[in-house]
Amino acid sequence: MKEVALKELLYKIADDQLILGHRNSEWTGFGPLLEEDIAFSSMAQDKVGQSYALYQLLNQLGEQEPDTVAFMRNAQQFHNCQLVELPNGEYDFSLIRHFLFDTAEAIRFDLLSQSSYQPLADLAKKIKGELQYHTLHANTLIKKLGSATPESIGRLQNSLDIALPYALGIFEPSPFESSIIAEGFFAGEAELQKQWILKVDALLAQTQLKPISWPTVKAIYGGRNGQHTEHLQPLLDEMSEVFKIDPTAEW
Amino acid sequence: MKSLDPRVNRLPTLSREITTKVPLDQLGTYEVFVQAKENKPFQHEGIVHASDIELAFVLAKETFTRRFTCVSIFVTDTRDVYVSALTEGTVNAYDTLPPYTPNANNILENYLIFHLLKRGKQHVLAGKVTASTPQEAMLKGKENLQDGKPVFNVWAIRESAIRHTQPEEMVLWKTLPDKKYRDASDYKAGDKLTRFLAQRKNEIL
Repeated sequence: MKEVALKELLYKIADDQLILGHRNSEWTGFGPLLEEDIAFSSMAQDKVGQSYALYQLLNQLGEQEPDTVAFMRNAQQFHNCQLVELPNGEYDFSLIRHFLFDTAEAIRFDLLSQSSYQPLADLAKKIKGELQYHTLHANTLIKKLGSATPESIGRLQNSLDIALPYALGIFEPSPFESSIIAEGFFAGEAELQKQWILKVDALLAQTQLKPISWPTVKAIYGGRNGQHTEHLQPLLDEMSEVFKIDPTAEW
Repeated sequence: MKSLDPRVNRLPTLSREITTKVPLDQLGTYEVFVQAKENKPFQHEGIVHASDIELAFVLAKETFTRRFTCVSIFVTDTRDVYVSALTEGTVNAYDTLPPYTPNANNILENYLIFHLLKRGKQHVLAGKVTASTPQEAMLKGKENLQDGKPVFNVWAIRESAIRHTQPEEMVLWKTLPDKKYRDASDYKAGDKLTRFLAQRKNEIL
C-alpha cells in the first residue's frame, strides 16, 4: 500500500515533467526571439532531465527502465494532468502555462525537500536551482507582458482564462492522498494548491491582469487517472517515433 | 509541402497578401559578463536583446551559461559601457585618454574597469575605482590597475548600472556540472561510429 502510494506520486510528477518538457521543446527554433528560444528550450530540457531522475527512482522501486516507461506506454497509462498535454497554441498560452505549472512545481519540490522518502528529498534539493530559474523566467515575463501593451495584456488574460480550470487539475487528489501525507512522502495536493494560489495571486497583483475569482473556476480533473484529451496520444506517438524504430538501439 | 519536421507542419500558413515592409522592431542590447569560477575575474561573454535589464539577466543565464562552468553573471545596458580608443601593437589605450580636470563638486561613484589584453579575446575585469565620470574612472584605472602589459581597450561601467547575481541566485548554476547531456562529447558519437564501422567491415568480410 505504502509503496503503491509512493509510486503513484512519483509517476504523476515525472509524467508532468516529461510531457510538458516535450511540449515546450516544440518551440525550439520557433521562439519569439533567439535568446528566449534558447531559454525556453533549455528549461524544456531541464524538465525532461527531471522526469528521467524520477523514472530512475521508480526503476529502483521495481518499475521498468526509464526509456521503456517514457516511450512505450499509451495515453491511458500516463498520470500527467491535462494542462501539460494541451497544444502550445501561441506564445501567450505557452507562457501562461509555464507560469502556472512552474509556480506549482517549485512549491511541490520545496515541500518534497522534506519528504520522508530520502531519495526524493535529495532530488528536490538538487534541482532547486533549476526550478528557481524556471519561476524567475516565468515571473519576469508575466510581470513584463502583463503590464506592457493592450495586446500583450489581452492575450495573456485570454490564455489565463482558458488555462485556469486545467491548472487546478494539477491538484487532483490522489486515491492515496491520506497515505501519502501520513507516510510523510508529501504534504499533499490540498496544501500545495493553497500555497500555489497565494503565489499566483501575488504575482498577478503586480500586473494589469484581472484578479482571479477562485470559486468560479471549475477544476478539470481526470489526467491523474489516465483520462486525457485528444492531444496526448499524438504527442506520445511523435515523441516515441524514433525510439520505437529500434527500442534496443544504443544512444 | 509537408515537412519532415512536425514543428514546421504545425506552423500557421503564411498570408499571400502583398503588404508593405514592416519596420525593424528590435529590442535594445545588454552586455553579459560571466564569472566561470570563484576567485576568477568576470569577463565579457556577449550580448543579449531584452526589453529591460531584469529580462536581460534572465535571458543571459541560458544564452551564455548553458554549458561551461559558471558561478555568477552580471548584465548592463550597452549604453552604460564607456569605451576608450582601440589600439594595437605596443600602443597602450590608456595613453590615448584625453586630459581631464576633476571638478571637486562632482559626486563620486564606483566604476568597474575592464581591460582588453589581447585583440580578439574578451574584456576582463581589472578592478574597481571611485570617480565622478567614466573618463576620470579610466584615468584612475591607468594609475592603479595596470600591470605593465599594454591594454588595447578600456571599458568603464558605473556599478549602479549593473544587475548582479544576488547571493540567493547562486543556486541557479548548481546542477550545471551534472548536465553532461548538453555536451556533444557526452554522447561519445565518435566511439560509437568507430565501433559501428568496424562491425560493418567484419560483416562485409
